[in-house]
Amino acid sequence: MRNDLQILKLLAKYVVAVGVLLLVVCLILFSGLTAHGLQSQAERTTGKIITFKDADGRSIEVRQPVKRVVVLTSDALEVIRAIKAEGLVAGVNSGISRDPLFWPRLKRMPSVGRWSHPNYELIAELNPDIVIGYAGRPGPVMERKLSSFGIQVVRLDFYKMFTLKREVKILGQILNREKEAGQLIAWYHKGRDLIQKGVKQIRYRPRVYVESYSKYHTTGPGSGGNEMCVLAGGQNIAAGFSIPYPEVTPEWVLAENPQVIIKAAAVSNAYGITGSGPLKKIRKDIMARPAWDHIRAVQEGKVYVMESSIWTGPRGIIGVLHMAKWFHPDILRDLDPEQIHREYLEKFQGIKYRGSFVD
Amino acid sequence: MEEISKQFKGLTRRKASFLLLLAAVLFCVALVALTRGPASVGFKGTFTALFGDSGTAHAIIWKLRLPRIIMAILTGSGLALAGTVFQAILRNPLASPYTLGIASSAGFGAVTAIVFGAGFCSEYHIAGSAFIFALISSFFILGIARLKGSTPETMILAGIAIMFLFSSLSSLFQYMGTMQEVQEIVFWFFGSLSKVGWGEICMAGAMILLPAPVLIKWSWDFNLLAGGDDSAKALGVNVESIRRYGIVLASLVTAGAICFTGVIGFVGLVSPHITRMVIGSDHRFLLPSSMLTGAILVLSADTLGRTLWPPQVIPIGIVTSFIGVPFFLYLLMKRERDYW
Repeated sequence: MRNDLQILKLLAKYVVAVGVLLLVVCLILFSGLTAHGLQSQAERTTGKIITFKDADGRSIEVRQPVKRVVVLTSDALEVIRAIKAEGLVAGVNSGISRDPLFWPRLKRMPSVGRWSHPNYELIAELNPDIVIGYAGRPGPVMERKLSSFGIQVVRLDFYKMFTLKREVKILGQILNREKEAGQLIAWYHKGRDLIQKGVKQIRYRPRVYVESYSKYHTTGPGSGGNEMCVLAGGQNIAAGFSIPYPEVTPEWVLAENPQVIIKAAAVSNAYGITGSGPLKKIRKDIMARPAWDHIRAVQEGKVYVMESSIWTGPRGIIGVLHMAKWFHPDILRDLDPEQIHREYLEKFQGIKYRGSFVD
Repeated sequence: MEEISKQFKGLTRRKASFLLLLAAVLFCVALVALTRGPASVGFKGTFTALFGDSGTAHAIIWKLRLPRIIMAILTGSGLALAGTVFQAILRNPLASPYTLGIASSAGFGAVTAIVFGAGFCSEYHIAGSAFIFALISSFFILGIARLKGSTPETMILAGIAIMFLFSSLSSLFQYMGTMQEVQEIVFWFFGSLSKVGWGEICMAGAMILLPAPVLIKWSWDFNLLAGGDDSAKALGVNVESIRRYGIVLASLVTAGAICFTGVIGFVGLVSPHITRMVIGSDHRFLLPSSMLTGAILVLSADTLGRTLWPPQVIPIGIVTSFIGVPFFLYLLMKRERDYW
């Protein structure tokens, strides 16, 4: 018959044995993972290092040459195509295949999942040098998951008007397309110069109600819509608010009596649509809202709908050009934003100009 | 005997007076709401515009403020009525119009319309979809009740299952949607009275006010249900029938209340309790009083939401939830007598 002491000794031996076994397993796993990481890094130890601050404000180092890129956002993909770096794309987000007309050559690239929830296994399998995604989402988990594979995560937004040029320049450096990036930036400057030249001549800023995708949700400070309105020489009636997308009452809009109303609308596959049916309907509905016939903008017909493709994003400048012309039609009489849009699509994106973007 | 009769009549008179008092309070709150707004119409200007002919002030009062106020009253009374009926039928003080999964299924309907509407869907499509799915869930529960018996426990369990099913499906569709669609869905769930006009009021009004007299007519049956199924049956109440038709009508009322405005929480749960604390559990007075209480709650919440942080609007669903929390804590602390 065993006494308590013997049982305790047996238990202790058991615990030690299990502990040693676990330690051995962990060591094997760790060395395996590190070896894989080191191996991946070993493959990338040649070439110049580019250091920059990404959209999250972190200091990032990317070693050239970058041969394979997984792109999580369609904004980044559009810029990559504009700087003629399509050939470096190894994987895209799941939205690309749903817009085959706009992405004729990239629609069949391997999909790694949604921009906000990518599949890290698929990314690792594609073995890219870098992954480009938005700042903030997915969160830091992406860096944690991909660093053991030696994959560098680069956060670049490409939709904020004030940081777009800087990000295009960085991308040009990383992908060794500095000349092409310079050409794209020159095109942005052309658009900006056109607007600034026009805005310099204005004597007043019209009061504008900017409505975002949701009804009665306007765009306050910190939102893209507010930025665009100000750049285009307008005065956003919601500029004094404290949050980017506040809800307002229709009565407030009536009381403010804006001179122009701008509505952002998301129409799926807008590039493929001929005729502005959906946008016309949205405009008609806005003008038919109860009591809105008392608003000056509705009385004068100055209600405009803009599709999301040119609302912020890499093509946001085209949206701003439209807005500037709507706000100051006399001064910017000769401006043709859709001509500039055509130039962008044909010269930089390599696709035909088509689609319906404004009404 | 005469003494008891006199006391009972006195009690009934007091309850009737409370009902009238609630109506008066509602009227006053409506008046205040009518005169408050970002446009500087003013107190006198409001009445001139109300009875005047045309002009911007007239349009503001008749096309913007009045529809909002009337919809708030309809929604509040509808949710309170449905909540009281569900609490009676399910014999559960925590029952609300959403216990049987109606909010989740209506939300799923809205999500479906927004995500698959491809930008073509209007407010009516969203409301229609929300309404249809809200009713689908209640018919599903009735189906289960037919198979397994219409006990409160069966129905609540079925309701919980429905709630989880439609919540998960909503999450799945939201996951598949674009950023703009997800934003739209989030705002729908917050609730809003900004988007309603007279057309929506007529439709919602029909769905809320038509079942109301029928449900109020069953007040005695609800009173007797409180004593348990067996004693109710012994006293001649057709328990199965009352439960089934009560659920259909209360679901119709709930669906009508939320399909245009989104999910407004707590009112259906809190209004019956507040009213019960004052007026007791006699459904002949509880049902109409609860409706008035609900109307006052929603109207006050909407007015607060519009005026606390002007000109931004705090969504009504958020304001009513904030009101609900202190009320529950109060209930928890102050249970001096069992009024349930």
